Amino acid sequence: MKLLTHNLLSSHVRGVGPRGFPLRLEATEVRVIPVEFNPDFVARMIPKVEWAALLEAADHLRLAEVPKGPTQGYEQDETFLRKMHHVLLEVEVVEGTLQCPESGRVFPITRGIPNMLLNEEETET
Amino acid sequence: MDHEAAQLEKQHVHDVYESTARYLSDLQGKAWPRVRQFLQDQEPGSLIADIGCGTGKYLKVNSQVHSLGCDYCGPLVEIARSRGCEVMVCDNLNLPFRDQGFDAIISIGVIHHFSTKQRRIRAIKEMARVLVPGGQLMIYVWAMEQKNRHFEKQDVLVPWNRALCSRLLSESSQPGRKKQCGHLERSHPYHPPCSVCSCSVCFKERRDSKRSHSVDDEPVRARTCCANISKEAGGGNGFYNTLGKSFRSWFCSRSLDESGLRKQIERVRPLKNTEGWATSTISIQPSRHSSVDRDPQEPFSTREPSSDEDVFVESSQKHLEWLRAPATGKHLRGDRQGETGRSGGGDCLGSTHTQEECAAAGALGEGKPSARRALRRVSTVDSTDSIPDDTIPVEGQQPDVWDSRAFMRYYHVFREGELCGLLRENVSELHILSSGNDHGNWCIIAEKKETCG
Repeated sequence: MKLLTHNLLSSHVRGVGPRGFPLRLEATEVRVIPVEFNPDFVARMIPKVEWAALLEAADHLRLAEVPKGPTQGYEQDETFLRKMHHVLLEVEVVEGTLQCPESGRVFPITRGIPNMLLNEEETET
Repeated sequence: MDHEAAQLEKQHVHDVYESTARYLSDLQGKAWPRVRQFLQDQEPGSLIADIGCGTGKYLKVNSQVHSLGCDYCGPLVEIARSRGCEVMVCDNLNLPFRDQGFDAIISIGVIHHFSTKQRRIRAIKEMARVLVPGGQLMIYVWAMEQKNRHFEKQDVLVPWNRALCSRLLSESSQPGRKKQCGHLERSHPYHPPCSVCSCSVCFKERRDSKRSHSVDDEPVRARTCCANISKEAGGGNGFYNTLGKSFRSWFCSRSLDESGLRKQIERVRPLKNTEGWATSTISIQPSRHSSVDRDPQEPFSTREPSSDEDVFVESSQKHLEWLRAPATGKHLRGDRQGETGRSGGGDCLGSTHTQEECAAAGALGEGKPSARRALRRVSTVDSTDSIPDDTIPVEGQQPDVWDSRAFMRYYHVFREGELCGLLRENVSELHILSSGNDHGNWCIIAEKKETCG
């Protein structure tokens, strides 16, 4: 699971609503998988990123050199874009958990795949 | 009602896909052109979700976008993951995403697996929720109206032949076979009985179809029809008569009727929890069905098909051609040998067929090994649709054979206009941009309306 994916995930436990975002990330196994750098692609992703969630997740993974937010003229800032590329696309959580901040419900990440299924009792009716 | 719906879907959608997922990994297909186009039309840097991604065949169509695949079925998701896709396991009815995260979403062959209208609406609303305003959603569902076939009802159970899959899988690993398995996973049913002789392979009516390239290219073959074959075989060489009963019924499905099939199904896989559900509203679909959207059960062909129907027609043509001249060893050895990598050996038609057919194959005389192979090929062609199961007569069929092979999948097939109506009346946050029919599917592209304030 990439951090860009984590940035989209939210808990859908009944009653939680928007307080289910972001999920608290813990990892027991993390890998770095190189991905071809595409500056245009990364630049276009930047406006879609929820920064606080990204920073929190990166912090839990103890990642260094994570930009705190978009810099002025970031579209042309290759250093910035390369860092964001790395953080969003190259860091893979292989084994870990995602926890709903409101309900405490834990979702597992196994072999890089988050399992977000809930029981019938837990879901919205 | 919702609980029963969930139970039905568990038994006849989720459990089936879970059990059969491992057979799908080698039977990957390419993407449907129009879905491909939709994905390629998205802006570079877009965030795309494929809800119901299966083995992930659409996730790498456009390298300029970031695609996330989701599926309820863990084994399918594992396969997608092994191909390097970013995927997760989740439920379409409760998408674990924040609002307005995705620029585009595709839902290909998914909504038709929900067993109530409310659940179908909910699935669509969930996808609308996680779309950005102005973002587009593409939905494909099976159509009830098929060009040459007829669904009895809108709620159907479709059989799936597992043994066939494993056979396809092992055959596909033969040299020369492999590329033929790289076919698109299709989501539409195959030919229905034609008006002339109820023959499942009759492509007489397809001559006028724009899509039947192979038919257009080979007018001579196009005129071939099961009726002709029956005549010839019955009168002349008697070949047709030497075929086993179940094999004959593959050609002409007159012997098959829904109640016969239902008896079989009910004997073997009683719908325990869903009895009330099934008996009142669902019909067992006896007609040949290609497996679905995510089922890459393609008939084999020597060349890449432009559509399922073409492939099926072409394979049928070849077979019919062969039937017409069974003694022509040259023809038998024609392209069949190149296609099948297997030596004749003791291989017969696979466990779905009786010894009868093997004997029949043997009785062809000249070109025997090829004949056997060709027969097997034919059976696999239609068997991808679980036709042999459908056409095995009730009498004389061992229940346990049926039992171990039947995985019934639930579908709600859509009438023309139904999907559009569903969106218009229930999902006001979406605006329909276009709709149409593609290979037996009703498809829609809708846009999330801009929010005001």
